[in-house]
Amino acid sequence: MENPLHHFEIHPIVHLSLMGFDISISKAVIAMWVGLSIVFGLFMLVVKSGVRLIPGKLQIVAEISLGFIKDMVEEFIGEKEAPKYFPFIATIFFFVLACNLIGMIPGSYTITSQLVVTGVFATGIFILTLFIGFAKHGLHFFGILVPPGVPKIMIPIMIPIEIISMIARPVSLSVRLFANMTAGHTILYVLFGLAMSTPLMIGWLPFGFTVAINGLEIAIAFIQAYIFTILTCVYIGDVIHLH
Amino acid sequence: MNKGSEFRRGLSIAFRLGTELTVAVMIGAVMGYALDRYFNSKPWFLAAGVILGGAAGCLNVYRVSKEITVENDKDQNNGV
Repeated sequence: MENPLHHFEIHPIVHLSLMGFDISISKAVIAMWVGLSIVFGLFMLVVKSGVRLIPGKLQIVAEISLGFIKDMVEEFIGEKEAPKYFPFIATIFFFVLACNLIGMIPGSYTITSQLVVTGVFATGIFILTLFIGFAKHGLHFFGILVPPGVPKIMIPIMIPIEIISMIARPVSLSVRLFANMTAGHTILYVLFGLAMSTPLMIGWLPFGFTVAINGLEIAIAFIQAYIFTILTCVYIGDVIHLH
Repeated sequence: MNKGSEFRRGLSIAFRLGTELTVAVMIGAVMGYALDRYFNSKPWFLAAGVILGGAAGCLNVYRVSKEITVENDKDQNNGV
């Protein structure tokens, strides 16, 4: 049997390079484009077919999912600031969700199983929170490093601890999504490999597990997209409210 | 708050805590190691970094737990 991590490797399909950068088109790039076009296409379909007072099926799906994210943003960022950040957070949710779900189609590629992709998302969000913090509070923003109610003697110890916990945020945000997707797909691959390499008498057992874990993976695709967005909201809310 | 969203919130917190704790220790260790390389002072910064990282991880988990208690109190007050 081949290496269970084999299907995470990226092989370029079309070789391209621009000013010394390798911009070859691979399966991962195509999966990302497909995810983008599914999200865009779905919402354009809703808008193009006319937003009605009595919504059709597709409009109900779009309205419920957007309302769900709106509630989340208002809860963590505050109702006054919510409209500014709502489009960004909704985009993250739908894009991550689409990419997770595309990975569930056999033969396609899960781009969220690449640490580079999730790392870039998380680093972007981290830099954004720093910008928001400095724009809103100026130099007062450094106050985030000293939690309220800390005795003066503890401050030299608290500052490195707070810096570490600050840097841990984007890392844990990216590692969580990447690890969950990679682990899930590896388990599926190993179980299906067992099902294929054993006779039918025993093989039905791992095959049954493959089917069950496929269901679990779809649930995890939703949960991980939800966690990624809710934590983005929490981090942005934290720098806006400063304790 | 309905039952479904409460369950989702619980799941999201449960999935968070594990990585929250480990990643903080890892970050502390990596930062300590980098400082050691820079100042040529093996192994002091690494040791301090691991301990501070553990503290940071505990702090993160403690904050999440505080969030949960605050929300529970809010819900109970709404119910009464």
